[in-house]
Amino acid sequence: MLHSVATKSLFDQRRALLAWTVSLVLLVAMYVAIWPSIRDQPAMADFIESMPAALRSMLAMSGADMSTPIGYVKIEMLSLMAPLLVLLYAVTTGAAAVAGEEDRHTLDLLLANPVSRGRVMLEKLVAMAAGIALLAAVTAAALLVESPLADMSLPIGPIIAAMVHLALLAMVFGTLAAAVGAATGNLTAARAVPAVTAVIAYIVNGLGPQVSWLEPVQKFSPFYQYAGHDPLINGLSVQAVLIAVGTVAVLAAIGVAGFRRRDVAA
Amino acid sequence: MSDEVVVRTVGLGKSFGSTVALQDVGLTIGRGEVFGYLGPNGAGKTTTLRLLMGMLRPTAGRATVVGLDAWRDAVAVHRRVGYLPGEPAFYGRLTGRQHVSYFGHLRRDADDKRAVLLADRLDLDLDRPARELSKGNRQKLAVVLAMMSGPELLILDEPTSGLDPIVQQEFHALLREQTAVGGSVLLSSHVLSEVQRVADRIGVVRAGRLIAVERMDDLRAKSLHHIGARFDDLVSDAEFVDIPGVRDLAITGRSMTCSAPQSALDGLLKQIARHSVVDLDCAEAELEETFLAYYGTGEHNAA
Repeated sequence: MLHSVATKSLFDQRRALLAWTVSLVLLVAMYVAIWPSIRDQPAMADFIESMPAALRSMLAMSGADMSTPIGYVKIEMLSLMAPLLVLLYAVTTGAAAVAGEEDRHTLDLLLANPVSRGRVMLEKLVAMAAGIALLAAVTAAALLVESPLADMSLPIGPIIAAMVHLALLAMVFGTLAAAVGAATGNLTAARAVPAVTAVIAYIVNGLGPQVSWLEPVQKFSPFYQYAGHDPLINGLSVQAVLIAVGTVAVLAAIGVAGFRRRDVAA
Repeated sequence: MSDEVVVRTVGLGKSFGSTVALQDVGLTIGRGEVFGYLGPNGAGKTTTLRLLMGMLRPTAGRATVVGLDAWRDAVAVHRRVGYLPGEPAFYGRLTGRQHVSYFGHLRRDADDKRAVLLADRLDLDLDRPARELSKGNRQKLAVVLAMMSGPELLILDEPTSGLDPIVQQEFHALLREQTAVGGSVLLSSHVLSEVQRVADRIGVVRAGRLIAVERMDDLRAKSLHHIGARFDDLVSDAEFVDIPGVRDLAITGRSMTCSAPQSALDGLLKQIARHSVVDLDCAEAELEETFLAYYGTGEHNAA
């Protein structure tokens, strides 16, 4: 496993990734287990209806019907919980990529080997992408395997499409964390910048439809690329995929350029 | 000729914001040479070494290592150079052997035979996780990682710190083997005694400037002697102060003490012999003391 920067990064994460996998499987199981009681609660739909439009919009609940499996998964999992968890993994992993090694003073020893800074950064991103893909795949598999146990029928295609978009959302913020870390070497900034950006992007996307001056900005939010086209109903959006991939590429390029120009802390 | 030069810096300087860490360093290290880089802590030793490793970007001048630009061609430089950082940090959960394997693969040389041999000679257990290693053992691991690829140049930042004397001897033997096959070594230290047995030349850095470069043989020739003499009659300062090279002259009535390098001994003894001598004492000082006498200890610029 210790044959390259990428595989070594995954090797380091092996226990963490196992814990994430187990947690996600259990979390999905919990949501699936609650489903029957929610479905039979018409009051739940009324409750959502009675919420202010802005709040409903924020939680991505507008137009979703809690009494259908798709609406339930969208509201309960995909609107907040799943992005929150996957972003948590992506941002911590991205920040750890360069800034984390620098913070622990191991970067000096690593870069003393004949590997370029650009290569270190890109291999770490590849490792992060593999980790994110694993988490998204585990979530998709858990949803598809566990849902029939509660008589919940979920369409395979749209679930996979939603998870692809979820993974890309995580890649955007994880790459932002890695880029800030690579360009500055500051671990705190590498975590804080994407965290704050994610909160703002989430709010912008959530309130866009309600607040007129936010509406033109909404389409720039990665959360809009993630769920704006309602992947659970409409499947994969090629345009949203391309925008996310392009964002990742630009952020990675900026991170590498910054990393190659600066001094590395001892 | 240029083939014989392994490290060359020209007007090399580094500033961090408005702080000047290193200024106008011109340094040449030849093939097969051990260069001791000396100076107090914070003088700029680590900055120089990290500039040579391409970790820092020079703000003035340039550094060439094995014929390549240290900053632009860092990857190609690293292929041929072994580096030991000033305060080596490791991946806590990985064992020594895993470090060897990881860096070996990054160097495209997965054979760990040499690393195992080195660890054996330094008496290092490669199977323990790095976080469990003592300061001395971490230093040994750093030595193994720097030397395992058989590089033509070793850049070592305070390599012997934390090593006990027996391991230091083994380490010095490794350095001699390095130069025996034409390899070169640049090692830093804040004490001369650590490098005097292995270095061919020393450079002294103080407050960011390279203030002296000297062959060890020349420094030995300058080696100070402590001389004390007691006379039958009274002597005066005037008789001794003019002898070139004499320092720390102290005269009280019938006795005289001073320090002098080898070259001043003849003149000094002839002056002493003008009087009738009761007692004479002459002892060679430690090299460290000679060094300090010429290059001082404190902040002020000697030399």
